[in-house]
Amino acid sequence: MIAAPKPTRVDAQPPGAPAIQVQGLVKTYRSQREGTVRALEEIDFTVADGEFICIVGPSGCGKSTLLKILAGIVPHSVGTVLVRGKAPRDADNRLGLVFQAPVLLPWRTVLQNTLLPAQVLGLDRAASQARAHELLRMVGLEQFAASYPSELSGGMQQRCSITRALLHDPSILLMDEPFGALDAMTRDTMNLELQRIWRESGKTIFLITHSIPEAVFLADRVLVMSPRPGRIIEEIRIDLPRPRDLDTMSEPVFAEAVRHIRRLFGIGAQDRPHVD
Amino acid sequence: MSIESAARAAVARPEPRAGLSLRRLLDRSLGLISFVLLVAALEAGLWLFGVPDYVLPRPSQIFLALVRGFAPPILSPSQYYVNIGTTLIEAVASFVLGSAFGTLAGALIVEFRSVRRLALPYIVGLQSVPKVALAPLFVVWFGFGIESKILLGVLLTFFPLLINTAAGFSAVERDRLELMTSLKAKAWTTFWMVKFPSALPFIFAGLEMAAVYSILGAVVGEFVGGNSGLGVLILNRNAAMDIAGSLAALVILAVMGIALQRAVAFARQRVLFWAPSNDALDTRDPE
Repeated sequence: MIAAPKPTRVDAQPPGAPAIQVQGLVKTYRSQREGTVRALEEIDFTVADGEFICIVGPSGCGKSTLLKILAGIVPHSVGTVLVRGKAPRDADNRLGLVFQAPVLLPWRTVLQNTLLPAQVLGLDRAASQARAHELLRMVGLEQFAASYPSELSGGMQQRCSITRALLHDPSILLMDEPFGALDAMTRDTMNLELQRIWRESGKTIFLITHSIPEAVFLADRVLVMSPRPGRIIEEIRIDLPRPRDLDTMSEPVFAEAVRHIRRLFGIGAQDRPHVD
Repeated sequence: MSIESAARAAVARPEPRAGLSLRRLLDRSLGLISFVLLVAALEAGLWLFGVPDYVLPRPSQIFLALVRGFAPPILSPSQYYVNIGTTLIEAVASFVLGSAFGTLAGALIVEFRSVRRLALPYIVGLQSVPKVALAPLFVVWFGFGIESKILLGVLLTFFPLLINTAAGFSAVERDRLELMTSLKAKAWTTFWMVKFPSALPFIFAGLEMAAVYSILGAVVGEFVGGNSGLGVLILNRNAAMDIAGSLAALVILAVMGIALQRAVAFARQRVLFWAPSNDALDTRDPE
């Protein structure tokens, strides 16, 4: 990753500054049926540069909205949101974004999809091409560079969407349930791969998931959100050594963290009979 | 094609067997066989029941009329060549112009709220007018030449393109647009790289309709007032009670319509190789 030839970094930032700062964030929107709806309520958190943050929360708690606010796709209503010290909509904030669906353009080959940010941002062609090939090699898609998305499996498509998010070497990667649609085995592989990419590149990753084990496995810190209106009800630091592997999941610290988060959602505490 | 899918295709292909290939041959020639049978039945029936030529001529008479129409002198106005040329020019010109304007208008209406506010009432109003009813006016305003026919055709092809393009631009997947927003792409970049290609399947659906309408516009225009074209030829043959000649011109129009429609379908296949085909008229075996 680091060895990959890089086009000029589009979003260099002062060292030491937090990657993301959110203070008193409130998001309301108007709905015809329900009037004014509060989607997010008084959200405060800071993400340090290079940190891996996972957000877990029940469906509809507004975690995707939070990510879209950070990406500059949706405006927030009240509060301060700073991404690398600037407004999320600032033209300098060209983040990497990965959705649950791969969102590849079907008329572009794998290579052309990967190169999309280079075209949008007007990056150097030759350098971007070299970097795209390097990224595709990294995720094992190099012999599919000329294939179209319809010829790939879901896991391969998602890997391509990750190479696209990484192409312009953004310092922040926002991921909205990126592996939610994949089968369990592919998911484990992708988690290991993502951890490796993160460790090698030093990027800040902000990942939404509804899999509690996935969050604990990947994150430095897990932010737990409540049902709507979404608030952050707890921050859990995961003190597991890196690199983590599949054996990490059988360690007591891991199990304890997972159990703790499940309890926060009331799973296993009152809804279901106690199993362990 | 990827290595995987190539391998799959190779495995899936069954060994050709004699019985199977004969059956396939029969299956493929079904259309031709039934056509020959239908023509033969018509020929025999019309002859048996003594239906007069000036009511419904036999297929063989239509065929003879076709042969006569294509015989020299090539440049005579009563022969097919000049008339086919006129109608084809009218149809193709109105197809190209009407489609271009319709696509442009459809895109502008979706992309710019002010254009939508300004133009939509007129478009809705104009759309509810039966366009062919304007043909006599067009002849008065633009004369007996090809201009009036082209304008009528433009008006006919404009709306399917406008509506389909607008639908296509409104149906672009939100995730694709959000991806571009996250990259802080300029509106124009998003338009060319994402919106326009995403709308292409809709635009091609409009083009296939426009191909048919463009010929309709040309023929209706010629009916109302013209001095050349297959529509004029049909009127003249009818006036001379030469029904076989009329039907022969109709056969040519049908072939012309199929050719234009197939040309669009061919272009669609080349441009939209990535989109699943919804071509109901495609009778080839699915791969």
